Amino acid sequence: MSPVKVKITYCAECGYEPQTLELAKALMYEFGHDLSAIELIPWDSGMFDVTVNGDLVHSMRREGGFPEHDVVKRAVRERLGATPTA
Amino acid sequence: MTLTRERFDSGLTYDAFKKGMTRNVERVEANEQRVTLDDDAVRFFRSLPRPVNVVVLAEDWCGDVIANLPVLGKLARETGKLNVRIFYRDQNLDLMERWLNQGKFQSIPVFAFFDEDMRELGHWIERPASVTKLRAEKRRAVFAKDPSYGSPDSPVDQLPEDVRNRLQADLQKMRDETTPFANAEVQRELKELVTALPVR
Repeated sequence: MSPVKVKITYCAECGYEPQTLELAKALMYEFGHDLSAIELIPWDSGMFDVTVNGDLVHSMRREGGFPEHDVVKRAVRERLGATPTA
Repeated sequence: MTLTRERFDSGLTYDAFKKGMTRNVERVEANEQRVTLDDDAVRFFRSLPRPVNVVVLAEDWCGDVIANLPVLGKLARETGKLNVRIFYRDQNLDLMERWLNQGKFQSIPVFAFFDEDMRELGHWIERPASVTKLRAEKRRAVFAKDPSYGSPDSPVDQLPEDVRNRLQADLQKMRDETTPFANAEVQRELKELVTALPVR
C-alpha cells in the first residue's frame, strides 16, 4: 500500500475551520493509519484546496464550494490502490 | 423591504458586538485605532438632518468584518448620525438572503441603511471593489518578486514550509500597507451611498 498524504489548505479568515475539521475527521475515521498524514494549512483569500499526494482534487476557486467528502475519499482510495466504491 | 423597528432594536450595538466577540477582538480594536477618519466624510455624516439606521450582518471570524466594521463603528461614534445595530449572519439567514452578494454569496459585512420609518435606502457589501483590485495587483507583485513563491494560482501546499511562512508574512505586510487606502475607500463609498439616499 502506497503512503498517502492529504493536505487541506483553508481560509482561516473566512471561518472555514468547521469544514476543515469535518473533512479531516471523515478521512481519519475512514482510513485510520492507512494515511501517512493529514496536514491542515491555515491560509487566506477564500481558499479551500485539498491535495492528495500533491494532486489537487478540490479547489474552491476551481470547483466552487466545499468538496464532497466522497470525492476526497475516492481520490485517497485510488492512491492507496484499493477499489473505489461509490 | 420592511424590517420592524422591534427587530432592528434587538440588534447589538457596536460596543455590545465587541464585548460578545469570541475571537479577534484585539484585531478589531487595533484596526479601530488605525482608522483615520476622513474630514469630508465626518462633516457629511454630521450634517445629515436625522440619524440613519444601519443594519449590519457580521460574524467575528470574518476578515472583512474585522477590517471594515471598525470603520463604520468609528464613523458612527464620531458623527452621532449612524444608528448601528449588528446581527450575526448565521443566526439571521432571512436577513442574509435579502442582501446576497451578486445574488448568491453570503458575503459579510453587510451595511444596510434604513430611514426612521425603517424603509430600506441602500446597502453596502463586503469591501470596496477598488480594494479587491489593488490587493490582487499587489498580491501578484508579491509572487513576482520571489520566484520561490511560484504562481499565485498554484496550490500553496506545494511550497516548502519555510517558503510558505515567508510568503504569508509578505502577504500580511502587503495587507497592512494597503489598509489606509482600504479604510479611506470604505468611507468614500459609504459617503457616496448615503449622498444618493433620500435622507437629506
